[in-house]
Amino acid sequence: MDNVWASTNKLFFKINPSLKFLLISSLFIVYLFVQNLNTMIWASFFFLILYYLVSGLAGKWSFWFVFLTLIVSLFSASAMIMFGKGSHIIYHQSLILITQESLARGLLLGLRTFTFSLIGMIFATTTLPVPFFYSLMQQLKVPVRYAYGCLAAFRMIPIMAEEFLHIRQAMRVRGMTRQKGIKPLYERMNRYSLTMLAQSIRRAQRTAIAMEAKRFSMTERRTYYYEIGWSRIDLYFIVIMLLTVTLGFVFAAYFPLTPFTNVLDH
Amino acid sequence: MSSTSREGWGVTNLRLAFPKKNAMLFKDLSFDYQRGEKVLLLGPSGCGKSTVLQVLSGLIPHSIELPMRSDRQEVPNNWGFIFQDPDTQFCMPYVDEEIAFVLENRCIERAQMSELIQRYLDMVDLKLENNHQLIRTLSGGMKQRLAIASILALEPEVLFLDEPTALLDPNGTEQLWKTVRQIGKDRTLIIVEHKINHVLDFVDRVVLFNQHGEIFADGPKQETLARYRDKLDEFGIWHPGIWSDYEKNQIGNQINSEHAESILELKNFAVLRQKQVKFSADHLCLNRGEWIAIVGENGAGKSTMIEGIMGLLRTNGQLRWSFDHPENHVQFVFQNPEYQFVTDSVEDELAFSLRVNKMNEEEIARRVDEHLERYALKAQRNQHPFQLSTGQKRRLSVASAMINHPDVLILDEPTFGQDAKNTFALLDIFQQLRLAGTTIIMVTHEMEIVHHFATRVLTVENGRLVNDCVSSEGGEERNRGQRLGEHEQVVF
Amino acid sequence: MSKEKSTNLKLNLTDILVTIVIALVFGLVFRLMGPVYDLVKPFGLHLDALLYGIWFIAAPFAALLIRKPGVAFLAETAAALAEMLFAGSGGVINLYYGLLQGAFSEAVFAAWRYKKFSLGVTSLSAFAALIASIILDAGYAYLPLLAGWNLTLYLVFRVIGSILLSGLFPYALVKGLEKTGVTQSLRPVTKEDYDVLN
Ligand SMILES: Nc1ncnc2c1ncn2[C@@H]1O[C@H](COP(=O)(O)OP(=O)(O)OP(=O)(O)O)[C@@H](O)[C@H]1O
Ligand SMILES: Nc1ncnc2c1ncn2[C@@H]1O[C@H](COP(=O)(O)OP(=O)(O)OP(=O)(O)O)[C@@H](O)[C@H]1O
Ligand SMILES: [Mg+2]
Ligand SMILES: [Mg+2]
Repeated sequence: MDNVWASTNKLFFKINPSLKFLLISSLFIVYLFVQNLNTMIWASFFFLILYYLVSGLAGKWSFWFVFLTLIVSLFSASAMIMFGKGSHIIYHQSLILITQESLARGLLLGLRTFTFSLIGMIFATTTLPVPFFYSLMQQLKVPVRYAYGCLAAFRMIPIMAEEFLHIRQAMRVRGMTRQKGIKPLYERMNRYSLTMLAQSIRRAQRTAIAMEAKRFSMTERRTYYYEIGWSRIDLYFIVIMLLTVTLGFVFAAYFPLTPFTNVLDH
Repeated sequence: MSSTSREGWGVTNLRLAFPKKNAMLFKDLSFDYQRGEKVLLLGPSGCGKSTVLQVLSGLIPHSIELPMRSDRQEVPNNWGFIFQDPDTQFCMPYVDEEIAFVLENRCIERAQMSELIQRYLDMVDLKLENNHQLIRTLSGGMKQRLAIASILALEPEVLFLDEPTALLDPNGTEQLWKTVRQIGKDRTLIIVEHKINHVLDFVDRVVLFNQHGEIFADGPKQETLARYRDKLDEFGIWHPGIWSDYEKNQIGNQINSEHAESILELKNFAVLRQKQVKFSADHLCLNRGEWIAIVGENGAGKSTMIEGIMGLLRTNGQLRWSFDHPENHVQFVFQNPEYQFVTDSVEDELAFSLRVNKMNEEEIARRVDEHLERYALKAQRNQHPFQLSTGQKRRLSVASAMINHPDVLILDEPTFGQDAKNTFALLDIFQQLRLAGTTIIMVTHEMEIVHHFATRVLTVENGRLVNDCVSSEGGEERNRGQRLGEHEQVVF
Repeated sequence: MSKEKSTNLKLNLTDILVTIVIALVFGLVFRLMGPVYDLVKPFGLHLDALLYGIWFIAAPFAALLIRKPGVAFLAETAAALAEMLFAGSGGVINLYYGLLQGAFSEAVFAAWRYKKFSLGVTSLSAFAALIASIILDAGYAYLPLLAGWNLTLYLVFRVIGSILLSGLFPYALVKGLEKTGVTQSLRPVTKEDYDVLN
């Protein structure tokens, strides 16, 4: 996983992860109630810029990532665009009925999804799981057993990837791959998924036992190897987020690009 | 119910069974030990030693829920456990985090952690450039040392050690026991170990189990071992001098010259892991009917070599089998037996490759029965392979490769975790196969096997094949004499 | 005599860890499924709704496996969190969907007091998760503003998809896993198991 991150030194990596998490997930509420297409356009624009400025993802990666996300977000609104209700008809053939209203709604939906994806990606590409879960315990008082459960689980990902290779090797060694046809193929797929699941479960059990053998107590009192604190950067972050959100609203008010200020009307 | 006042712990009249099994593993088992005692538990593979340790430490039933009951189960307040399977005992990905996790649990101030981590690593003599290293990238020996370091960080009164050296090279084994001896001076040690020559000089009490999970002897080591010497053989317990007993009735390692026919040739062969060459050999030619031992330190590249030969890893250079379809002639056994298993029961596992080859069911049933008997797995026939004891898993993985009578058998440490009886049974089978023309290629740390059986020894060092010598009887004989002498002195 | 366990329904560390690991596996699957799912979207015919059910699988699967209160909710939430951390498309929305779906799914198992884990109950929990997702969609995706036939298609596809993928499928998977024996040690020890000790 580590090689995907271009640099972990960027500003956003240093924000308190709990704060980042709370603020970013509360944006959901903000944009859920936006029915103004212009606001959504400007908001996605500003978050796009923010994403490019702060993302920890390497350049090539991030361009395709964003591009695909945009396409996919618009796709997800295709039903609304083509089959939504509305009266100002743009295009009509058999069942497909594109109206101005449905188009606007569809675009808003697509952009909203796009914005949420961007926000999610800002979070995902600048947050490392380990500090994140430590911070959840320290700042948000998430019970240690859940936070450590998550930590331990995340750390198993590379091991799971390796396990996948082992299963494939076992199948080769035991001659399972030599059988041709649909039934053996089905059996192989079956074996893959069951073995992966069974192994993950067993690994989880063993890790739990190892943790308890090392006196992990499920109660809260403990010290922490990594202490996640606060810094001035957290303040910057709040300002940056507020600014981005506000800019979206301000620009929508002063530079409306479309006439659809409330897609639920008309 | 603080146990410290009595300075002794243990379990009385323990009854324990695994779910969905009709028989008890332990029936009214009692075992007690006092503070400061150093106890060695010995018994055949599958008799329940690992399970007993887990009961003594309270992991059963506290963390592992099993049907069990006892009149008394007194667990020390402060204990540490080294597990049999090296990969099961870590809960963090990095070396420093693993020890820090223990310190966190003990509520040690954060400011002291780095220093303490370094101290515990020093105690086990684990030297790393950077303590923030991925545990996955450590060799087997280093992993075991780290396991001990993190246990030491618990500052335990009682240490439970479940075969901590099964996968270590001879050097690593020696050092590990040296460490244990040092740190165990004023602690209580409960040790399970098949290979006892390194342990005997510092334990003072020996407990012997039979295959039914009953304790049949318990007392000071000298007397117990001397008195039950014949029993030791019967239950397959390793003891000093066992090799010389065994040696009397075996065939030796002469080469069948009539089979000197090449089966595998390697030229400028290199095996890569994650784009890095981890093994290379300029030239190697293997012949039919040889017994080839591959030796080398932990992390030298032995497993890499044979996995490369099997085509499981990416390779460069030339690899030529003399068979048109090598997959029909060559069988492979992984170092970790769990990688081998592709079915849901011991029976099916054995039958698997026979079914692939479309053998008729009667013949399959006959062969499966025969192998269950031969590998001492009869009682486990319907168990899932993952629910076996470590030694049983190993035997099953070997058995499932052998059942098809391959022409070439490649095995990665086939005897680890085995009791003596099963080891010798395996060796006898290998020997029979070899005399019938099968080529045996095996990675092993067991120098006795190399001396007694190998017709040829390949040495791997730092990812290179550095030595290839045909085993010469005379020289080995002398060596062996010395080694056994050493062991003998230790005990009797 | 040490205590004879009454079936203990509190989550222990093993339960929590297993649940989260399963959630993570499904989180990964979600992440990898995401693009496939997105690809079938553009036709506007809600073919994606057929696949939508896979999004609820973590909860019933974990519940069937561990059979204790809280597991379904924990699994679905953790899976959603994992998907968010893997930068899945949709980002933060997933978290809210996960929370609500998990809660609804859990409620069904709770209604049977965690005593019944049949195919019917499993399917019902999938259906409950579906209701949760529709509630959120109604607000988020303006469902009522779709043409009638299209909305119907959407609903029918979702119901079929969720029953198949989050009812039948996890049920079959767990049945398969039961054969491997790993489930044994996850479930509370039964009375019969103790009877062997007499
Ligand atoms: N989960 C399980 N379900 C059913 N049977 C089991 C399970 N785990 C272990 N067993 C059986 O219990 C017995 C004791 O296992 P245990 O691991 O304690 O043996 P051991 O003495 O440590 O053997 P070894 O020397 O091979 O490690 C074995 O026969 C094994 O097959
Ligand atoms: N999965 C892996 N990924 C990356 N490197 C690995 C992996 N497995 C092993 N290595 C590295 O490859 C080298 C050779 O390892 P290999 O497993 O072949 O050693 P070995 O001789 O079999 O040792 P042992 O006696 O401990 O089994 C070691 O340096 C090890 O760190
Ligand atoms: Mg054992
Ligand atoms: Mg190896």
